[in-house]
Amino acid sequence: MKVVEAQAAVLSNYEVLQHLTQQKDRYKQRKRRGPPNLETVVRELIQYLQSHPNPLSQKPSTYTPNSISQLLERLSPYELSKGEVVMILNLRPASVAALNTVIEEMGERFSDEQQEEMVTIILEVLGQFEAAGPDANGNADDAAETGNVS
Amino acid sequence: MFILTKFSDLVQISPEDFSKHSIVAIEDNINAKYANKVVQKIGLCISLYDVLWTSEGLIGHGTGLVNVNVEFRMIVFRPFKGEVMLGRIRSSTPSGIHLRTDFFDDIFIPYEELPQGAEYNHSEQIWIWNFDEERLFYDNHEMVRFQVIDEEWHDQTPAGPTQAEDTPAKTPYKIKGSMAAEGLGVCLWWDGA
Repeated sequence: MKVVEAQAAVLSNYEVLQHLTQQKDRYKQRKRRGPPNLETVVRELIQYLQSHPNPLSQKPSTYTPNSISQLLERLSPYELSKGEVVMILNLRPASVAALNTVIEEMGERFSDEQQEEMVTIILEVLGQFEAAGPDANGNADDAAETGNVS
Repeated sequence: MFILTKFSDLVQISPEDFSKHSIVAIEDNINAKYANKVVQKIGLCISLYDVLWTSEGLIGHGTGLVNVNVEFRMIVFRPFKGEVMLGRIRSSTPSGIHLRTDFFDDIFIPYEELPQGAEYNHSEQIWIWNFDEERLFYDNHEMVRFQVIDEEWHDQTPAGPTQAEDTPAKTPYKIKGSMAAEGLGVCLWWDGA
């Protein structure tokens, strides 16, 4: 084994999930399984990516293959670092407070209006959880169940 | 959280796999060797991403194995320093909080990285954050946001006869995190408001 390039690219959670679900479908079509260690880690990772409050848990998904380029384009005036954009993609901060954890020294770099604008852009491009969804106790399962009944 | 790492490796396809297409045999071989395993200073390998190049298959003396040199890219779990991630509280001890994700268990938040006013409750065995006269609990299985601040690597290659037999194996890859900053900690505290 030789490492040719330690970090050839950075992937967002959405791209990883995309790759893994495609791979799963491909295995299903050919009616075969991957090695057991692969099956385990893929199952656990998909479970992680699709559990609340991860934005990818939302169904139907608000992410599309275009989301990434669209977000990059619209956030480009703010000159965020690559890592910050990746975190925005992965966590989808829905408020200024949540954005504050992701962006370093946000108070000094951006005015209050700019912060609000960024949150709006994220909301428009990546969507958000429905307000009537999981309640404050985080009973995502309960909310989903009642949704099915009605 | 995830990166692509480019590896080159020798893949040996055994005769029972000759019925598979070679690309499928190579894919299975690589996944069996790498998936769910930690490569030192690289991270936790998840799955093969794509195969970039393969050599001709060569059969050596003595075995029926087909040897192929392959260059490929793996999806690797390796959060960068400063990255904010989601995790679940696994257990709490006076020295800090252990977190896990569904696929990765070795995340630790030392007590000095908890926000000011946090105290350990020995009878309940959980951490509590006293904030404006409110008591906020770090309950087990609660989803939390944390920031990666450091990583620790332990090579598990045997050290030879000098190594004592009963030394417990150290986890190969450990993440140290922080929940001190505003917006970090149990998700419900911040999202519910």
